Amino acid sequence: MGLTDSIAARAEELSHKWAELILGTYPEQTQAVWRTNHDPFTNPVGAAIKGATDRLIPLLLTWNDAEAVANSLEQLVKIRAVQDFPPSRALSFVFLLKKLLRQEFMADLSAKGELEELLRFETRVDNLAVIAFDLYVAARDQIARMRVEEVKRAHKNLVRRVNNMGITAHKAE
Amino acid sequence: MAKIMKPDELIKSINYTPPAENWLDLPNDLSPGRWAYPAKKNKVEYLMNELPGIFANPRDWSPGDVDWKLPSDWKEIVVNGFRERLDKYRSLKVFMDVCVRCGACADKCHFFIGSGDPRNMPVLRAELMRSVYRGEFTLAGKILGKLTGARVLEEDVLKEWFLYFYQCTECRRCSLFCPYGIDTAEVTMMARELLHLVGVNINWILEPVSNCTRTGNHLGIQPHAFKDIVDFMLDDIETVTGKRVKCPLNEKGHEILFITPSGDVFADPGIYTFMGYLILFDAIGLDFTMSTYASEGGNFGLFTNADVMKALNGKMYAEANRLGCKWILGGECGHMWRVVNQYMDTMNGDLQGPQMKTPVSPITGTVFDNAKATKMVHIAEFTADLIKHGKLKLDKSRNADINATFHDSCNPARAMGLLDEPRYVLKNVVDNFHEMPDNTIREQTFCCAGGSGLNTDEIMEIRMRGGLPRGNALRYVQQKYGVNTMACVCAIDRATLVPLADYWAPGVKITGLHELVGNALILDGEGERTMNLRQEPLPGMEEE
Repeated sequence: MGLTDSIAARAEELSHKWAELILGTYPEQTQAVWRTNHDPFTNPVGAAIKGATDRLIPLLLTWNDAEAVANSLEQLVKIRAVQDFPPSRALSFVFLLKKLLRQEFMADLSAKGELEELLRFETRVDNLAVIAFDLYVAARDQIARMRVEEVKRAHKNLVRRVNNMGITAHKAE
Repeated sequence: MAKIMKPDELIKSINYTPPAENWLDLPNDLSPGRWAYPAKKNKVEYLMNELPGIFANPRDWSPGDVDWKLPSDWKEIVVNGFRERLDKYRSLKVFMDVCVRCGACADKCHFFIGSGDPRNMPVLRAELMRSVYRGEFTLAGKILGKLTGARVLEEDVLKEWFLYFYQCTECRRCSLFCPYGIDTAEVTMMARELLHLVGVNINWILEPVSNCTRTGNHLGIQPHAFKDIVDFMLDDIETVTGKRVKCPLNEKGHEILFITPSGDVFADPGIYTFMGYLILFDAIGLDFTMSTYASEGGNFGLFTNADVMKALNGKMYAEANRLGCKWILGGECGHMWRVVNQYMDTMNGDLQGPQMKTPVSPITGTVFDNAKATKMVHIAEFTADLIKHGKLKLDKSRNADINATFHDSCNPARAMGLLDEPRYVLKNVVDNFHEMPDNTIREQTFCCAGGSGLNTDEIMEIRMRGGLPRGNALRYVQQKYGVNTMACVCAIDRATLVPLADYWAPGVKITGLHELVGNALILDGEGERTMNLRQEPLPGMEEE
């Protein structure tokens, strides 16, 4: 059985383990709460972690739909882009999959002299990281844009009055 | 907050697991983006002069600096202030003593749910204060110290208060789940009062408070400018409806004083809601005036200090008396209604002039007995009553492009139980309406994360993570039912939900309730309507 078959056979288990590693990037007290609450509305971060890992593992195996990959990453990336993480930690969750794959498959593949298979598969994870990077930067850009737009909206009628005063003064001259 | 890491920090970041330290021992992260800007020196000076004994220590400072330039006796000031409040407010003492750390509130706060920071669990946020209470005021705490979870008040503790009591929107969702009914919002209010005593504050609250004290509204707009701005909206209403409606300002002898948050007058999209009010008043021929001195429904005193809240609120009765109004109609606002419903009568009831009467709708004759004490009626209630009695001609088809949901603003929902009236109005002006999931609406509603003076752009990330539960529920109905509009009855919501929706549910627009009423309402003598109040084409008019 090749690596992709092995991953496919254990997709659910690997998704769970990956999600656990991601949960591990949050404080212990938080993990305890997020691990036990399965309601997507009162625990949206827990749900986003589980949703992302569940969807991404099969997508990594088929690896023919970049848009679906991006869609599956987006919510979790957007969440981590506004949490208290520096960019490296925000996106670390992608590389945790690499850590998991090495932990689960490296010794075995190495013994069989088939380590190349793992390296080849890891390229997909690297691509996942690059897609996540695009999404992260888009989210941060959006935050910056929203700040500017908010200030403009807050003073809309005041600016209108000031502009109007300019016109009135001009006419008076 | 995202910051670029240094190489040595990057190496450390390979270990993804955060340290399992006691939360009490974790250092404060005061990076930019984790705090709102401090109050300008001149605003604090002005307030110290107007309202003595509440504010202190005006200076130029930054929470990002190591030295916060606190007064040398800051600790004594805070401890004495704490003692004074424990004596004055029985509730505070009970809240400090009674919590058994059952954890019912732990996962109920939107800031915790979005951030995962344990210090945003309401129990731990309150514990920031409780630990000091035990350390300074209880015998066991003084003797046993840390064993009882007690702490001595140190500068780092004060900084921690600043960080976390300004990550509480006083929305009171946690209180709903507390078996003892501990009101964490009141704990936050007390913590902020104590911080003000040593000059630890934020500008987004104190500048509005200062402006409101001086001119009557948050932006400090004076009467002549206020009139000009209202005139713009009368022009716009004329453009849309073909009819010139009225908005009397500071006129004596009208039956009703109308007060709404100034955000409705100045800010997009609140201005469309304001136009909706004026269209409604024209449709029913309401005998009303507005005041440019009580031109602010919002009361940032609620998040500042009880005496400030009282002073700002008092202007409502002062102006009702000066103008000779019988009762007050209040616009769509959040915390204004918490102040009105829970504190106004106790604080300022004695200011009501003899001309003030229990509100009666002049159109339907309905007596608002529920407003007997304060003489103030919520506009959603007022309009619902009009619709119920068939007094409004409504054309829902003008809102046919709208697929709406309703966001219960924390204060009207949890502090006054205004749950069904806005929904009733909404369903009468739009055809398509879908509720968000049960555990995210009505009493359990999730906050917009911009309340209690946190709706400022420098903490956009904090607001977005705090807004995740609301945004997530919104995204759900957007995907499931095609919801494209979220209506609400709060000016802070109208401002803060716009970026929240842009980030978490792009494509959903935010409206006030009366914007939609204004669109649907048929006025006597109006022209053919081809556009809505935003001057966008009405459904079916796109080609014209």
